[in-house]
Amino acid sequence: MIGVKNLTFSYGKDKQVLHGLNFTVNDGEIFGFLGPNGSGKSTTQKILTGILKGHGGTVSLFGQDITAVRTQDFFQQIGVLFEFPYLYANLSAIDNLKYFSSFYPKEQVQKPEELLERLEFKQDFLKKPVSSYSKGMRQRVSMARALISNPRLLFLDEPISGLDPSGAVLFRKIIQEERKKGTTVFVTTHNMTDADLLCDRVAFISNGNIVALDSPKNLKERNSNRHVTVEYLFQGKQEMRSIEASELAGILPFPYDEIVSIHSQEPTLEDIFIQYTGRGLD
Amino acid sequence: MRGSFFALLKKDFRLMVSSKFFLLAIGSLILYSCYINLVYVKVDQEIFPVYLYDPEQVQENISADVISVYSPEELQNACEDGYSIGIDASKGTPRIIIASCGISRLDEMRHSYALSKLSSGNSRKAKIIGPNDKEMKNRREITAEFLFFELAAVGFLGLASMLFKEKQMGVIRVHAVLSVQKGAFILSKLILILFADLLFAALLTLCNLGVSAGVEVLPKVLVQAGILSMIMAMAGFFFSITLPDFKQFSLLYLVLAVFITTPVFLAGQTGVEMSWIKFHPMYHLFAAMKNAYFQAPVKNGFYYAGCLMSIFLLFLLARYGLDREMKREG
Repeated sequence: MIGVKNLTFSYGKDKQVLHGLNFTVNDGEIFGFLGPNGSGKSTTQKILTGILKGHGGTVSLFGQDITAVRTQDFFQQIGVLFEFPYLYANLSAIDNLKYFSSFYPKEQVQKPEELLERLEFKQDFLKKPVSSYSKGMRQRVSMARALISNPRLLFLDEPISGLDPSGAVLFRKIIQEERKKGTTVFVTTHNMTDADLLCDRVAFISNGNIVALDSPKNLKERNSNRHVTVEYLFQGKQEMRSIEASELAGILPFPYDEIVSIHSQEPTLEDIFIQYTGRGLD
Repeated sequence: MRGSFFALLKKDFRLMVSSKFFLLAIGSLILYSCYINLVYVKVDQEIFPVYLYDPEQVQENISADVISVYSPEELQNACEDGYSIGIDASKGTPRIIIASCGISRLDEMRHSYALSKLSSGNSRKAKIIGPNDKEMKNRREITAEFLFFELAAVGFLGLASMLFKEKQMGVIRVHAVLSVQKGAFILSKLILILFADLLFAALLTLCNLGVSAGVEVLPKVLVQAGILSMIMAMAGFFFSITLPDFKQFSLLYLVLAVFITTPVFLAGQTGVEMSWIKFHPMYHLFAAMKNAYFQAPVKNGFYYAGCLMSIFLLFLLARYGLDREMKREG
């Protein structure tokens, strides 16, 4: 679906922000693009969505070079959720969706009411202006805007931001449902939980370079020290010891009266990111 | 494609309504019409008062409205306002005393007028040339001026207020990933402002010139109103898309009002002489508007070519500004 080879980009002569990115995104895949602010995430997404021109290297979408596909048809096949919920504040959710859907062929467009119901939008706010909505409600309408055209390729920038925990669960579910329908999803985030729970593969970007690319599971396995921490009671005292995971298969190599808990010491995606880049994501 | 453009028009119309654009235009229309009909057409400036000091009663055929004074000091005091004129006839030959008003041509006119008052038999009523009596001349003149200043401000500010709202809401960036052409995004706003301005021009003309005279000048007035409206709307679009916030835009508007509109007003409405004003593009728009109200359309092809070129260049600039805004970081 997406093929990026040796992608470079500079703002002006001396400000190169992308230094030869290489990655592919397969059809129906949820691909996470993770990096801190200023790492080149947004620039990459802007190139992929056809907003920024003048890049180096090759970028192909839907099997064609982006310079050739940046047409009306291209924009009708993609859906973009921005980091902030950009909506007309003087219009209602329904009117916003009707307006944005008018740029797609009628047969391609979903019904705004049904889409908002799927996103658990409060029905009594349907016809009220967006200016009266909470951040979470605006985010739901923005997601509906991105999905309204049944896009083949969905770009999501921080999709879960501004949502309460139940909203976050709902959005993850909807993204998974979209993938099941065959939609390819490109998620830009610095939320590790989202990336871990949602993405089939993730790429870590730092200072305009991809420093790691794999599935979250593989990344964690590859970077794990394969140790577990065992908490236990011995002679009335609670103690803790770190052992190799393989040692759990046999008799534990220390005396104990009772095992209280066993914790995996598998690193989080954030730990791995720091390991690769020497810096955190925030 | 047509459906998308209609959606843009509908959205922009709703934005205009929510920004109280029409309310302001109706308010201006009522205010201007009330001022023209209730105040301006009744205003008649008093002609220069003429004072005569003639202790020996040498002047015999003086006009009845000449005011006699009885000392040189009194004559001096009466003429100090830069408007009244004094005649000192104490030494036989009348000597004109005037405090200059600053405009040499007007001073010369005052001088001649004062001399004419020394012979009462010369008073004749001026012949009215053409279809305009004094009231109609006043109506045409002030309507042209109000329309010019209203369009210069409304086209500029009206579009800017709409665009700043869209910038503030961030929705312009959403249009970067929609199959909407940038030109269409600009054109929909331009068409609405143009339509609103033309409607305003027609109503203002009909309300203040009357139906018969209004209909007569309307085609020429609408052409000039259309040109001015498009130029100002495009300029408003470019500056509002380029400048980061409304505060800076307001400052720019002040600068434009001072350096662009004020000289045009001074040159067109007062006797202040500015030889360079013919190089001021807005002055030609102002003159064309005034001429349209007096049924004397501009026949100079360069004027129309210049206007078309300006609209085209401003459109390109607006498109460039829009493109830049779409790429901007959130």
